[in-house]
Amino acid sequence: MSTPSAREPVRVEVRGLSKSFGAVRAVSDLGFTVEPGSVTGFLGPNGAGKTTTLRMVLGLERPDAGTATFNGAPYASLPEPARTVGAVLETAFHPARSGRNHLRVYCRAAGLPLSRADEVLTEVGLAEAGRRRAGGYSLGMRQRLALATALLGDPPVLVLDEPANGLDPEGIQWLRGFLRHLAHEQGRTVLVSSHLLAEVEQTVDRVVIVGAGRLVREASIEQLRSGADGAGTVLVRSPDADRLADVLRAGGSTVTQVDDGALTVAGSTPADVGRRAFAAGIELHELRSHTSGLEEIYFELTAGREQFAAHSPAATTDPGAAR
Amino acid sequence: MIRLVRAEWTKLFTTRVWLGLLLGACAMAGGFAALFTGFAGRTGNNGQALPDVGTSAYEQAAFAVSANATVLLLILGIIGMTQEYRHRTATPTFLVTPRRGRVVVAKLLAYALAAVPIGLLVIATNVLVVEIYAGARGAAPSLTGDNLRVLAGAWAALVIYAVIGVGIGALLRNQVGAIVGALVYLFVVEGIVIRAIPAIAPLFKWLPGGALQAMTATLDATDLLDPWQGALLLIGYGLVAAVLGTLFAVRRDIT
Repeated sequence: MSTPSAREPVRVEVRGLSKSFGAVRAVSDLGFTVEPGSVTGFLGPNGAGKTTTLRMVLGLERPDAGTATFNGAPYASLPEPARTVGAVLETAFHPARSGRNHLRVYCRAAGLPLSRADEVLTEVGLAEAGRRRAGGYSLGMRQRLALATALLGDPPVLVLDEPANGLDPEGIQWLRGFLRHLAHEQGRTVLVSSHLLAEVEQTVDRVVIVGAGRLVREASIEQLRSGADGAGTVLVRSPDADRLADVLRAGGSTVTQVDDGALTVAGSTPADVGRRAFAAGIELHELRSHTSGLEEIYFELTAGREQFAAHSPAATTDPGAAR
Repeated sequence: MIRLVRAEWTKLFTTRVWLGLLLGACAMAGGFAALFTGFAGRTGNNGQALPDVGTSAYEQAAFAVSANATVLLLILGIIGMTQEYRHRTATPTFLVTPRRGRVVVAKLLAYALAAVPIGLLVIATNVLVVEIYAGARGAAPSLTGDNLRVLAGAWAALVIYAVIGVGIGALLRNQVGAIVGALVYLFVVEGIVIRAIPAIAPLFKWLPGGALQAMTATLDATDLLDPWQGALLLIGYGLVAAVLGTLFAVRRDIT
């Protein structure tokens, strides 16, 4: 493994990417940038066009319009693609071939020493299983083998499509640490897609959110957090909401009337709100702090943008239920 | 290109498909050789006598039976190409080599070269069975002259059919469809239909099966090309399939 300083930073730029399958517009005029040294989450509901976008970025599918470049060069014209970009897409291997031999095939094709196969197997924790037939691997082992394939050429860019699929909680924990290590300590550019924000929330530095094939939001995770409505606020419900609002406003809090007796209170804590309501003798029916708000804003941003949105009234009014 | 060819060999020899097809091809060549020798000189139901051991007609026909195993090398080539789609390894393969035409060329070269020793083993089995069995019946054929030419033709045909298999695989992408389609074409369309219709029967010598027969002497050799013409024609079929496959099938989106 080379040192971070030896690895050239590579910026991935997607501009005006579009692709239709028959009458279905899978990706429309999509543009975003993936910065080196950070983990970028590529988020959107199922059917938002994430996989199609990644496959176009990697030259596996032909876009109708637009470009995707690695430091200015499209994938197909990279001189040594395996040494520039590693990709984890759907797990693809011959079931009768051992994991180690699978990797050796691509060592040969990429002109890498065969010893790389054993190195990456160790790196992803598959050294023991390397000589067994890949067809007998568990889902988690298959994901690790796919990750090992991506790492063969020690590439500065990693593109991962739903890598957490099939991993157990322990595996997901391991993957999070591994991706952060690859980006922050080794300076790689990491783009990881997911349909669940919660899955990558602790891993990513930046997010690119897509819905129905269009860019919805491109921001750092802090920007997203600070822009989230209701972040750090308290939700309180009372049959005497109007009087409660006056009491809280008198105490210097910013109060917003939500609906039938519910208020959101900024710049306060549930304990503080409860104490002041008790002092004023106001009856409370509910008192809780809002969640981080990221999930809500993600849901708001992508709501109704699923390609095949099902009508679920509960889902639009209570984002928490979607988890 | 050398590293891509070696990658294809690693793919080929890290599963057991090649071994199964090699053993099958050897069994086929040896079995046909034994049958042919066993029935040599006997009179069939139609009253025609098969050439007897010791005649050059027998010897050339007995050394040509390896050509029947071309179908197994065809399947080897088809599997070599279509397994990329069947097991979805086309994705990592084309990620490492985004210029997909190079992958097809590497496969054509890799399977042609791998088919050389595989074909030789098939031929060797054929020769071994004929020499021992015909020897036991009184006249072991010599490995000279026309006999040698027939063996060389069969060997070359085995190699060329592996190349054609890669080409067909590139064109059709679907493994089962490509294998079934090729077998139906060879045995039903060419073997029965075309030869049964007098108006188009003369076309036979220009088709893959006719070209194969041209490369090896057989009992019913009538209106055929010269062996070298047959070889060139077969190589042409394989390359045309590979080029069309590269242009229209291999470059399609991998989804």
